[in-house]
Amino acid sequence: MSAEAYRVRGGRPGRAREALVGYAFVLAPMAVFGVFFLFPIGYAIYISRYNWGVYGSQGSVGWHNYGWVLHDPIFWRSMRNIGEYTAWVVPAQMALGLFMAVIVNQKIKARTFFRSAFYFPSIASSAAITTIAIFILNADGLLNKALSLVGYDHHTPWFYTTTTAMPTIAGLNAWTTSGTMMLFYLASLQAIPNDVYEAAAIDGAGRWRTFWKVTFPLLKPGHFFVAVVSILGAVKLYDQAFIVSGGTGGPDYATLTPVLLLVQEAVQNIRFGYAAAMGVILLAFMVVLTLAQRLLFGRSEAA
Amino acid sequence: MRRVLLTFLVLAIAAVVATTAAQARPHRTVAGPSGNVVLSGWASSGSEFDFLTNVVQDFEKKYPNIHVTYQPINGNYPQAMLARFASHTPPDVFYVDSSVAPDWMAAGVLQPLNSYFSKFHFSTKPFFPRLLSGFTYKGQVYGLPKDWSPLAMEINTSMLQKAGVGVPTTWPALIAAAKRMQVTNAVPGGAPICLSADWARLLPFVYQAGGSFLNKAGTAPVLNTPAAKKAINFYVGLATSGLARTPDQLGSGWCGEALGKQKAAIIFEGNWALPYMHDTFPTVSYATYAMPHGRARGDLGFTTSYSMAKDSKNKAAAWTLLSYLTGAQGMKKWTDQGLALPSRSDVPPAAGRSVLIKEAPYSRAWSFFPGFSDVYTVMNNDLTAVFQGKKDVQGMINDIQAATVKALKK
Repeated sequence: MSAEAYRVRGGRPGRAREALVGYAFVLAPMAVFGVFFLFPIGYAIYISRYNWGVYGSQGSVGWHNYGWVLHDPIFWRSMRNIGEYTAWVVPAQMALGLFMAVIVNQKIKARTFFRSAFYFPSIASSAAITTIAIFILNADGLLNKALSLVGYDHHTPWFYTTTTAMPTIAGLNAWTTSGTMMLFYLASLQAIPNDVYEAAAIDGAGRWRTFWKVTFPLLKPGHFFVAVVSILGAVKLYDQAFIVSGGTGGPDYATLTPVLLLVQEAVQNIRFGYAAAMGVILLAFMVVLTLAQRLLFGRSEAA
Repeated sequence: MRRVLLTFLVLAIAAVVATTAAQARPHRTVAGPSGNVVLSGWASSGSEFDFLTNVVQDFEKKYPNIHVTYQPINGNYPQAMLARFASHTPPDVFYVDSSVAPDWMAAGVLQPLNSYFSKFHFSTKPFFPRLLSGFTYKGQVYGLPKDWSPLAMEINTSMLQKAGVGVPTTWPALIAAAKRMQVTNAVPGGAPICLSADWARLLPFVYQAGGSFLNKAGTAPVLNTPAAKKAINFYVGLATSGLARTPDQLGSGWCGEALGKQKAAIIFEGNWALPYMHDTFPTVSYATYAMPHGRARGDLGFTTSYSMAKDSKNKAAAWTLLSYLTGAQGMKKWTDQGLALPSRSDVPPAAGRSVLIKEAPYSRAWSFFPGFSDVYTVMNNDLTAVFQGKKDVQGMINDIQAATVKALKK
């Protein structure tokens, strides 16, 4: 083609080819995303409209599965449980993550060691951690023995008392996932330019005031991101609830989470359509939750 | 060109003829079924895995043309099996627990066996009828019980001696023995009795009071009777009076562990506790006794069947394996290793199990109807609430009755 034609199109030569190369690079991950995320979601919406047994459809029920899920008092009990759990775990994770990030952001000795040590629980197997925690938090386990030394001699079976089961799981999870939150906060902390601290020092702000009045507000993008990730992870709680309660949902429904209930319906009752409807409702709930957070806390700047 | 074409055609025809002839020629005459069979189930312990491997090796010696691949599934067995059923690639022969059997039979994943019984002259008469009925659905048998166990009363003999009581055989005697143990501090740091907040342990007491969970036809729940309430109040009373504690209050996963850790003197568990105590707590001295009786004797029978998959690719060989494992010879080899009791009356149990076998006439199967797991969830959650004083017994009975009616209607 002639040079005029190129100029008329307003582009460098090969711009279309560049775009094609870009799409080609994105194609593989998008294919994985499509197959492992989009397709199952679409399929779940499809089978939620049927009575779905082991070998497939056993008759259409329209949208009734959704009605039955929303009228099930046990489903609402599980939502209440996960609400209680989220209320415990999210502030704990954020606080612990921020605390560790602030420590690790300073020039202390063995900083790299502490970074790895704080992060390690996040990569260790949650099933293994939970199994060990069951022993430590037993009625006559390590924690109760330590507590009895300081005068708290009640020997509570932490995982098996209805009032303490969920908060105990929340405590365990806050410890394991705080490492990941620490990393997010660390990234945010390091994005704060040094002259802000210098300005605060010139103005005579002490360490505590600097933190609360300067650092904390500037971490807003970090807070938003950590909050969203934390809440989404909390709503999906399954493996700890399963291991602690042996798959039953805990003493008197105390550790029954929506995902655990979903798996029970699918595996024990072989009602895949009903379970799929529950999954779609959970998905809608999490989308609404994320949108609400976005609206409430404003647009996050590039973190 | 024509020459090349002709040569090619001749060679092609020759190749086709040769391969067809090769396939049509038999390798050798084989008597009976042959091929590969996949055997699955769960292996609750290393010893179970080893024992069953031994039985499988004996089978392969007897039937050299059948090769068995034993692949137990660890982890969530129903979940793993459902995935295999749905993908039409199930194991050929596998365990089916009596509590999930009604759901799996109704879902159509198991092969009906009546035609095999008549074709191969396999008699089901030696099987204990109450155990076999747990695997029967609409007149067809879908599995043969491979073994079973009732509940029994295991007592720490040295603690019993310390308290100076005899072995309790009735409910009042049980209360008296537990009270004596409390007074003499025979179980330091623990409780005289370990009771699970589990209806799979409470139900025998309901039977002992003359009550029942379902009516004779199995069509309606009958828990709202004085007999059932008497039994439930007795069981709950033991816990609320402090004579009994739940396993988690004793720092244990189940009552067997509590007995082993010497945190309880009296527990109610089945044959599975015996190898567990032998392997994990060999120094604890305990003995097995019959369940106490109320107005009558009553017990529960827990059993698992061997079943064949509907989608099995080699049903003839699978049947040979199944009939061997549940036949008199195969079952004897399995139960002689002591993990469970034989479910056939023509197979004698292993040594030291006579107390458990004597419970057979009074034991009812732990197997009810499709969708029972929903009711079981309500049962245990409510019982936990009752134990913790958050609910009263009548409220629990009402919840269970409502859940049962709802599940039976489906």
